[in-house]
Amino acid sequence: MIENAFDISKELLHIEVQDSKINGYRFVTATCVDLGNGTFDVLYHFDKDLELKNYRVNVKKEDELPSISNIYFSALLVENEMKELFGLNVTNIAIDYGGHMLLSDEELNSPMAKQQIVIEQRKGDK
Amino acid sequence: MGNTVIPFGPQHPVLPEPLHLKLVMEDEVIVEAIPAIGYVHRGLEKLTEVKEFTQNVFIVERICGICSMMHAQAYCQGVETLMNLQIPDRAKYLRVIWAELHRLHSHLLWLGLLADAFGFESLFMQVWRNREKVMDIMEETAGGRVIISVNAIGGTRRDMSPEALRKVAVIVDEIKEDMMQLEKVFMADYTVKHRLVGVGVLDSAIAYELGAVGPMARASGIKQDFRTTGYAAYGELDFEPIVETDGDSYARTMVRLREVYQSVDLIKQAIEKIPDGEISVPVKGMPNGEVISRVEQPRGEVLYYLKANGTKNLDRLRIRTPTFANIPTLLKMLPGSQLADVPVLILTIDPCISCTER
Repeated sequence: MIENAFDISKELLHIEVQDSKINGYRFVTATCVDLGNGTFDVLYHFDKDLELKNYRVNVKKEDELPSISNIYFSALLVENEMKELFGLNVTNIAIDYGGHMLLSDEELNSPMAKQQIVIEQRKGDK
Repeated sequence: MGNTVIPFGPQHPVLPEPLHLKLVMEDEVIVEAIPAIGYVHRGLEKLTEVKEFTQNVFIVERICGICSMMHAQAYCQGVETLMNLQIPDRAKYLRVIWAELHRLHSHLLWLGLLADAFGFESLFMQVWRNREKVMDIMEETAGGRVIISVNAIGGTRRDMSPEALRKVAVIVDEIKEDMMQLEKVFMADYTVKHRLVGVGVLDSAIAYELGAVGPMARASGIKQDFRTTGYAAYGELDFEPIVETDGDSYARTMVRLREVYQSVDLIKQAIEKIPDGEISVPVKGMPNGEVISRVEQPRGEVLYYLKANGTKNLDRLRIRTPTFANIPTLLKMLPGSQLADVPVLILTIDPCISCTER
């Protein structure tokens, strides 16, 4: 397991992220991991004096996850990326590209997500 | 009169790679900048899930030509941590030498592109003439000029002979001497200073809040360089992060210029101290678990997150590249700037779009 990683609920996400900002952490990035069981692990990485602190939020694929870009503006790019590549439903992103930051209209949604979302999309296309 | 929207890129003489910006203008002043990327997205993170963990070294090297060696280094360090592998000391020093050669050619490439961006073609030519010497060293020591493919899980694939190391030390000294001549132009030329001083000021607090990394952060007074944590052989070398405080385009140029000399110094220190011995250890078994590996690339810190499951395939490989971290700074620097300064401002973050999109 990675060091300094804390499991939190999505309800606590904003509180912990706000707390990190107050305590002088910079936002490094977020990582979305499709666990293949209908849930995502979303890891938020913060840094202070080159030491990482990580929050892990487990969300169901159909659930909404609030954006942290109102606290850390720089999160907007990775949140758009997770939204497009995994189909993670991140809400209220500071600049929301509506699924077209990386992907064009012709491409399948959620190409990084595990099989089931891709299959559903293909069925939908037909 | 309403605002005008000017599309900048994805094809533009100043952009080596495709980045598109929608610039909302009020006369000649930028009010808002919205980036659009996605032109060179190749889905490399997804590809690493279907290739074997040993093959991934070659994939991550192809994320970017300019810092390919350090992508492989970050990946290999991550897998080595997962597999509890202790690589030989000689391999650690070799990684430092090749990594600093990469930083050297990356910064020289950037300094040349900057000169080109403000129309100083002869300066561009002189800087790139020096960069060619680094490319020649790469070819001679690794067989490739761009993707040198020297990293392997467990150490390095190639060694350098004592003669080659001596030659590298001589050539990097020549580069330093040449750059000290050119430095006068970057530091004191009226036209160069006019295009850089006070342009795109990013103060320390905003740079930190936006998560700026590398020379972008250090030019704004943030003393942050991941090499100081001592990975590879950096812990045995003597150096301090290069920091400037003005936070403008001139400060960012000075940081990269001084880091050229720093890389020369680090290469020479590593050559002096490199121990004899093996260059790799055998790799047995499969990686399992999660790890985060970080390395200081020329553009700043790169982060690799690896999740392995005890098989030959990884569950997830996530890469946060330095340009990805520095784009938000661009969105804060551009509003309020003149349209004519956009090329220089984009260049000062040293954008690597291939890295950003993977």
